[in-house]
Amino acid sequence: MRSMTLYVHREKGSPLHRMDPLTKLLYVFTSVIISYVLADHLSVLLVLAVSISLLIAGKVARFILPIISVSFVLLASILIVQGFFHPDRATVLWEIGPITLYKEGFSIAFLILLRVLNMVCAFGVLILTTKPDELVETLIQKGLSPRFGYVLLSVLQIVPQMMTLTGKIMDSQRARGLETEGSLWVRIKSFIPLLGPVILRSLAETRERSIALEVRGFNATGKRTRLHRIQPYKYGFALKALLAVVLLSVIVWRIWS
Amino acid sequence: MSHLRVEQLKYRYPNQTGLALDGITFTVNKGEFIGIAGSNTAGKTTLCHAICGLVPHFFKGAYGGRVLIDGNEVLTSTLSDVTSKVGFIFENPFSQLSGAKFTVADEIAFGLENLGLSREEMHARIQDSLHMLGIEHIQRKNPFDLSGGQMQRLAIASVIAMKPEILVLDEPTSQLDPQGAREVFNIVEKLAIEGMTIVMAEQKMEKLAAYSDRILLLHEGKLVQDGDPSTIFSRDDLLELGVEPPIYTTIAKKYGLCRNQSNSFPVTLEELLTFEFNMPLEGLSSTSEKQSTSVIQAEELSFSYPDGQKVLHTISIGLSNEPIAIIGQNGAGKTTLVKLIKALLRPSAGRIVIDSIDAKDTTAAKLAKKVGLIFQNPDDQIFKRTVLEEVMFGPLHSGFSKEEAKKMALLQLEAVGLSDKAEENPYDVSLAERKLIGVASILAMDPEIIIFDEPTMGQDYQGKLRLKEIIADLHSKGKLVICILHDMDFVADVFGRTIVMSQGKVLFDGPTIEAFSHQDINRQAQIEQPHRFQIARLLQERRGFVNQP
Ligand SMILES: Nc1ncnc2c1ncn2[C@@H]1O[C@H](COP(=O)(O)OP(=O)(O)OP(=O)(O)O)[C@@H](O)[C@H]1O
Ligand SMILES: [Mg+2]
Repeated sequence: MRSMTLYVHREKGSPLHRMDPLTKLLYVFTSVIISYVLADHLSVLLVLAVSISLLIAGKVARFILPIISVSFVLLASILIVQGFFHPDRATVLWEIGPITLYKEGFSIAFLILLRVLNMVCAFGVLILTTKPDELVETLIQKGLSPRFGYVLLSVLQIVPQMMTLTGKIMDSQRARGLETEGSLWVRIKSFIPLLGPVILRSLAETRERSIALEVRGFNATGKRTRLHRIQPYKYGFALKALLAVVLLSVIVWRIWS
Repeated sequence: MSHLRVEQLKYRYPNQTGLALDGITFTVNKGEFIGIAGSNTAGKTTLCHAICGLVPHFFKGAYGGRVLIDGNEVLTSTLSDVTSKVGFIFENPFSQLSGAKFTVADEIAFGLENLGLSREEMHARIQDSLHMLGIEHIQRKNPFDLSGGQMQRLAIASVIAMKPEILVLDEPTSQLDPQGAREVFNIVEKLAIEGMTIVMAEQKMEKLAAYSDRILLLHEGKLVQDGDPSTIFSRDDLLELGVEPPIYTTIAKKYGLCRNQSNSFPVTLEELLTFEFNMPLEGLSSTSEKQSTSVIQAEELSFSYPDGQKVLHTISIGLSNEPIAIIGQNGAGKTTLVKLIKALLRPSAGRIVIDSIDAKDTTAAKLAKKVGLIFQNPDDQIFKRTVLEEVMFGPLHSGFSKEEAKKMALLQLEAVGLSDKAEENPYDVSLAERKLIGVASILAMDPEIIIFDEPTMGQDYQGKLRLKEIIADLHSKGKLVICILHDMDFVADVFGRTIVMSQGKVLFDGPTIEAFSHQDINRQAQIEQPHRFQIARLLQERRGFVNQP
């Protein structure tokens, strides 16, 4: 288990690991907006392809898979609901017994799927190649208050923290005879006794953390300093400008046509 | 003016009936080293909390009396004012991590950034404290991926780097290897000489006796006595107060080595050695009768964690027939080894066979009736709302009915002495008690093999006595007991066979008495001889020296 962070360390780094967090943040923003502004499948697919190639360039493509599979449940339900129940039902795509799948619904569902996938991948570009503390650090040095920075960091940490905690509790439970390994059904069954403890423990841990912060002087009123100087990123300005231009032109094009 | 002054301090936790602290009064001067001794529920941790302001600012409840730091009252100051002067090292190092930093070095920086220090100063202090605690080699690791002892070292480093005026330490060496523990005491002593005021709660009485200027003896929330180590440890009623005197004092009492004028006994090794007496080396370590038990066979076992660090290097050992101790330096791979045995981790290479079952063909859950593992950090093991439910979980999932499970659970709670806490929330009892809950919850399943990961951590005299009884009892029932330990006296008292590990390898495997007679092994594995061995050896050397013409 990689503990407490989704960030993937690469010994030699990658162009994406070296890119500054703000540029990547702007990329996420641009990519997600464009995928919603454009409405045809092909262009959204293109946007998704860009995000995926970036993941490959960052040598982290493999690590997006578990995140996608977590969102899969969500995606599948979108697909089903849209596919079966979208109001514009005209063209029948499939008919399986009493169930009819309509082309319009499916088409929209597919578009949404592409957009969500792109969102996950674009966020992946940021999250998998950026240390969360570095991201927050950059924002703080751009003027975000350190307190708010800590809150933001905690939000970014919710998922990995829950994963770690769940792992610990599962270890303790299977050490005492609750089966958690094996078929899908066994895994689903073992999920229920986890819920209560995970909530209980994360409350306890949050409390512990806040004690730790107090004791480590987090609430001191004096001026804070930071250990790391954020390295200026050579191509930061150019890339950000490029992203801004792309975003603007897509929006303008969309309004015009 | 005294640096720290406590007057008639009384405190009761919310929703509790008894007082946790009851009329405590003492003063501490700048640069003094004060030890706090007492049994597990004496109120040591609560007193530490009261000094660093967590009581009453974080833990509410009923509060009376005053705590003054440099003349400022803690109750009326803000918590951040108090914590800017008082540094506090937690009993459980995991609870102290900020959760905001992703490397060991950055974790130390967290406190320094809050102090607003310059970059150069921060880098200097970080390197300094990493070096002092011997954790430079792991400075780029994630703080959550450390072994228990490494995490404790980090916790100490991160507070020491902040250079507080008063340093409060709550059992800071409970998970450290013996040499690591000694180093921490040396560091703290040096800080005291440089003017830092030290308050330390500790169960290692030999160390408290050697290092503290004064000792506060607590019992059931009351301050029984405030005096120098030799006065405190010469008391006759110590055991009744749940405190075991230093081994040196016990030996001195046994041999009647007392300074006739003052009726005080020696409390440190140096003092003891000023007397002439003779103690045989023989019979210092126990050998239990062999029993036929389950057998664990590890063959060419290797393991790496996902972050790439190789932790175990082709280990081959067989475990059976008698209680076995595993000792060795922090980060040696002890916990990793037992997690592999319990099938919580999968080996990267090699295999483990338990009574002809290959661990790879089974799951941790299926192994539950065969192998029980008591986790190092009890908080990783506990997840239920009440102590009783926690202990019942195992039996319930190994096919027992509710009534049977309850009966088994109550029996085990009795054995660890926690019957009266059955209905409490596990988070409201002390860390040492939580550790015992962990023990009860595994024993309730009655497994064939029981592995304890540092059971003596934070335990007082009573707790250790109970553990010894439990281990002897398990062994007599034909169970295989394996224990990871940092308490060398406990090792010598209980185990006939000892395995010494260092850096992912087995350095030694054989009779306990031999394990401690190899100086180079002891040095490499950062362990020390049990106190009785040290004394006997020194006496022998002295005699040898005298006998030379
Ligand atoms: N989850 C983890 N991820 C990565 N590395 C880990 C993890 N847990 C432990 N390690 C590393 O593996 C090594 C062995 O750890 P282990 O917990 O087995 O040590 P140990 O002998 O039990 O030490 P201690 O006496 O401090 O408990 C250490 O160097 C530690 O940093
Ligand atoms: Mg360990």
